[in-house]
Amino acid sequence: MRRFNAIFRKEMHAYFTSPTSYVAFAVYVLISSILFYMNFVMFQPSIIDFRLVSGNATFMYVFVIPLLTMRLFSDEFRQGTDELLLTSPARMTEIVLGKYAAALVLMVVLVGFTLIYPIVMSFYGTLDMKMMITSIIGMLLLTAAMAAVGLFASTLSQHQMVTAIASFVMLLTFWTMLDWAASSSGTLGEWLMPFAMNTRLDSFMKGVLNGADVLFFITLTAVFVVLSIQVLERKRWR
Amino acid sequence: MLEVKDVSKMFDERRGVQQIDFTMERGEIVGFLGPNGAGKTTTMRMITGYLNPTGGSITIDGLSMSEHGAKARSKIGYLPETPPLYPEMTVMSYLRFVADLRNVPVREQKKRINEMLDKLGLHGREQQLIRSLSKGFKQRLGLAQAIIHKPDLLVLDEPTSGLDPNQIIEIRQLIRELGEQHTVLLSTHILPEVNMLCNRVLIIHQGQIVLDERPDRLGTAMGQEVSLHLEVKGPTESIIQVVSALPLVTEVQIVGDGFQEACRKEEVDEAPITTMDHTDTGLEGAGQEADLAVQVCVDNYELSTSQPGVLSPQSGETIKLRVVSQDHSDVREALFYALADAGYPLLEMKREMTSLEDVFTRLTTEEDSGDA
Repeated sequence: MRRFNAIFRKEMHAYFTSPTSYVAFAVYVLISSILFYMNFVMFQPSIIDFRLVSGNATFMYVFVIPLLTMRLFSDEFRQGTDELLLTSPARMTEIVLGKYAAALVLMVVLVGFTLIYPIVMSFYGTLDMKMMITSIIGMLLLTAAMAAVGLFASTLSQHQMVTAIASFVMLLTFWTMLDWAASSSGTLGEWLMPFAMNTRLDSFMKGVLNGADVLFFITLTAVFVVLSIQVLERKRWR
Repeated sequence: MLEVKDVSKMFDERRGVQQIDFTMERGEIVGFLGPNGAGKTTTMRMITGYLNPTGGSITIDGLSMSEHGAKARSKIGYLPETPPLYPEMTVMSYLRFVADLRNVPVREQKKRINEMLDKLGLHGREQQLIRSLSKGFKQRLGLAQAIIHKPDLLVLDEPTSGLDPNQIIEIRQLIRELGEQHTVLLSTHILPEVNMLCNRVLIIHQGQIVLDERPDRLGTAMGQEVSLHLEVKGPTESIIQVVSALPLVTEVQIVGDGFQEACRKEEVDEAPITTMDHTDTGLEGAGQEADLAVQVCVDNYELSTSQPGVLSPQSGETIKLRVVSQDHSDVREALFYALADAGYPLLEMKREMTSLEDVFTRLTTEEDSGDA
């Protein structure tokens, strides 16, 4: 536990001292507020609905989260500090979970930024609070799964750019799965449909807490965290 | 303490390390030598658990690396070739992080970190960012990282590379101190360092251990002769007669002032001008093999400066000789008495040890041609 804490603290420190995370947050806030301005202020909708902005915000995660997770392991490989971690008494699980926990904190911050818009909206009408809460849960689960994908991608290369692009491609694949499923007829479409992240998120946005959807994100997270551990463990056999 | 048994490492195509086999006892400082790419770093990485061996086993204090990885790793301190530092951390926060990572009890951490700062002269730099430290300080911090948990086994990969001469001396002093409490395995390219620090040398070449010996016994291990440097007062020819008459002496050579030319059997035939005298003196009588021809040769320098044909200098002049004895035997005493009996005063006698450089070059180049 102490080793987990040590790694978690170190990661948090690294996040808040590296310019990349600030830039990623800044870009996210900038673009999502432009979209909010266009969808809410210019479009002047007659109803107050979080979904007016959440759709855009969540799609932006596909771009922002790779930037936030790309350094997790790539940096260690590049600096040679993986030799410190891997030769320390820390178990691989502790190392990976410590890093993942730090990434999760960032995801909470990211979702927190998205909540600025419903707060602004609430001045112009009443928000459906139940829907808000399920939406937030959904977004947290979504970002957690996305962070796990980013974590996994960062174990693959020592170059942050390669890592970022790899996780971007993986996330985009999950995101466009719906379109693929729609365009491919028959059984293939049926097979692909359950893996589309945005359809899974839809139920949360509608105010429905669906067990299958919750489980989907948790499973996705677990799979990629375990895959990361496996990839790192495999590096010893290189 | 450390037991490396039949350890091999295969990389995708090529063989990294093949069936390395050695043990280390507590309190040993072992120097690990080898040309670049011989497998030093790979071996060290396997010992520290960074890489898993393809075959064989590594045991530390009875704990197998493959079965009790985490526990075995907690007994090891490792300084890789580039110190594993986080540039954006301060010295203090880095040491605290490593202390946590390496299971240093919370109660002791403060004391232990202070100890490290003392030992490595890092005081006053606690709050400095690692990014801004000089190379020497980075290396020291790397060393602090490796010893903060008082490991039983300390593995250092080229600890003095890239440091200035003063820092090298400091780090060596430190390693010597550490060697009193810890078992140390260190790799280096600086051969004299091994003579200074280590009580054992391992030379690895093309993934195999080619030498495992104490540094002061390298000559014996290599089956190499010991050579003596003499300065004797008296006529050259008669001195040579006296010296080469000794049973165990295999080669006598006149050495010019600061000018020396190797004169072995094969070279003698090719360079007849340098050969002044061939004597097969009383070796058979002394029960030695007949093929131990004693050659006496004078180099060109000697010839050109002295008058041709005149070998014996005026009395009162001294000559310098290089004497090689057979089988690593010590002929110093015999030489002394022989020369004293003959009435030629011995002014200087120095034993030339087989240098590690010689051994290293021979071991790591001969086999190249052998394999090719």
